[in-house]
Amino acid sequence: MSRFTLHVRISLWLLLFSLGLSVSGFSQNTSTLTITGEVTTPLDLTLQKLSAFKQVSQKVKDRDGKEHEFKGVALIELLEKAGVTTGSKLRGENLAKYVLIKAADGYEVIYSLAEIDPEFASQVIILAIEKDGQPLPAGEGPFRIITPNDKKPARWIREVRSIKVAFAKD
Amino acid sequence: MRRGFKRTKFRTYPSGWFFTGLMACFFLFCGLTHSFENQKPTPYTLRYPANFGGRYTIPEDNPITKEGVYLGRLLFYEKKLSAGNSISCESCHLQKLAFTDGKALSQGADGSLTTRSAMSLANLLWVRNFFWDGRSPNLEQQAAFPLTNVHEMGQPLTESVAKLRQTALYPPLFKAAFGSDIITRDYILKALAQFERTLISSDSRYDRYLAGTYPPTAQELRGMALFQNAPNPQKLIRGANCEHCHGGVKTFKELFHNNGLDSTFSDNGRQNFTNQVEDKGRFRVPTLRNIMLTAPYMHDGRFQRIEQVLDHYNEHILESATLSSFLRDVSNETNGKKLMLTKSEKTDIISFLSMLTDSAFITNPEFSNPHLTLKSQ
Repeated sequence: MSRFTLHVRISLWLLLFSLGLSVSGFSQNTSTLTITGEVTTPLDLTLQKLSAFKQVSQKVKDRDGKEHEFKGVALIELLEKAGVTTGSKLRGENLAKYVLIKAADGYEVIYSLAEIDPEFASQVIILAIEKDGQPLPAGEGPFRIITPNDKKPARWIREVRSIKVAFAKD
Repeated sequence: MRRGFKRTKFRTYPSGWFFTGLMACFFLFCGLTHSFENQKPTPYTLRYPANFGGRYTIPEDNPITKEGVYLGRLLFYEKKLSAGNSISCESCHLQKLAFTDGKALSQGADGSLTTRSAMSLANLLWVRNFFWDGRSPNLEQQAAFPLTNVHEMGQPLTESVAKLRQTALYPPLFKAAFGSDIITRDYILKALAQFERTLISSDSRYDRYLAGTYPPTAQELRGMALFQNAPNPQKLIRGANCEHCHGGVKTFKELFHNNGLDSTFSDNGRQNFTNQVEDKGRFRVPTLRNIMLTAPYMHDGRFQRIEQVLDHYNEHILESATLSSFLRDVSNETNGKKLMLTKSEKTDIISFLSMLTDSAFITNPEFSNPHLTLKSQ
């Protein structure tokens, strides 16, 4: 009986150890996206974790002048998951919050929190992970913001690496 | 008897005036030393044109003061901060070359070469990620690297502190700047950072043009348009797309790009710092201010002349997985793969780049070696 328990224990440890190894190996080769700042739960997202969210898609004309179908997760869903003050909580001082999005190459853009909230805005801003059925290519992905109503795609920030919610403090 | 009494009286009871004078001297003296001890350093006012914008951060625990800046300037030119008292910051950052050294790689205190080219020190106030790989978030942290790196000044900060403590010059200057004459590692870094934040280059012909006081030549205007425009052959707009990364009045954006110098990398650049494969071969987009003075060019100083830089962006971009998408398939000809600028267009761009030379910056006495004036005094 005790030998059996020991066996189980050892194999469990081995299993955990190898899982740990594979996870760490995986994370080294997988880009992550962080959501931090004025949140209740900071998030560390990977492509895999994003696939658990409701997927939405948008057909929009990109910088190349051609229409593409971008698929991903509504940015508001991610912010809600992180516990950002959206919906009925987006009032008072929370209207002075902004969302700073940074790319791998250092590029930065901001949105006001209200711009992302569907109770204010008619568009759905998405964190895209696919373009025309394919993962976003290097230099553009793995994560890219698509803001359909922005006529100029300068805030359709590519290679998103971090999203930070903050108060304007001026 | 009367006279004697008088004399005695004078000796025993000095006059009220004498007492008052003595007391006044005493209080004056106390007041002087007191105010000297608590004397706060004088705030330093940074001056720059409004179009440079205010997006910079000065650490709350290191406000810029006149005393701090002066101390930082002395330290910038201080050879005691290097192993064997052989070099100072200036050795690789000469004011006349917009604080570069004219070399591809620089020689450290031990005679060995650095792995990357010395960067220009202009408008660092607005920089948010220092070094070619952006590893330092502020000048205080940045300064520790060249001071201690064995290929650069190569001396532990504890040793620099010990050397400065032995001088007559420095303890009072640290006291004036930071309120304590006990020299520390942090004070050295803070003073250097304060001085470097004052190195503002904003009086070039380009700045005067923006202020409406310099009329550019026709060639400079052609070069400026090419510098700013993205090529669009359909709309017959010719451009070199420089501004995509070097845009704005400061001529740099806080970006890291692989600019197609190599297809395989001996230096992985920003990847060494972030450990992300997407950053392989990415380097900081540097300022182009004073670019005609800061040859050789690129992170490894591979190009001796500005013409080679133009040729690179025009004709020699090498493909790799992380090549900047802004350098891929950008052309002045329909379906072209290369920029396809003409020889005269390249000359025009160089003419615009010359507008970025700021002779007031490279001759500003406030940035020069203060030890020279100290010695002559």
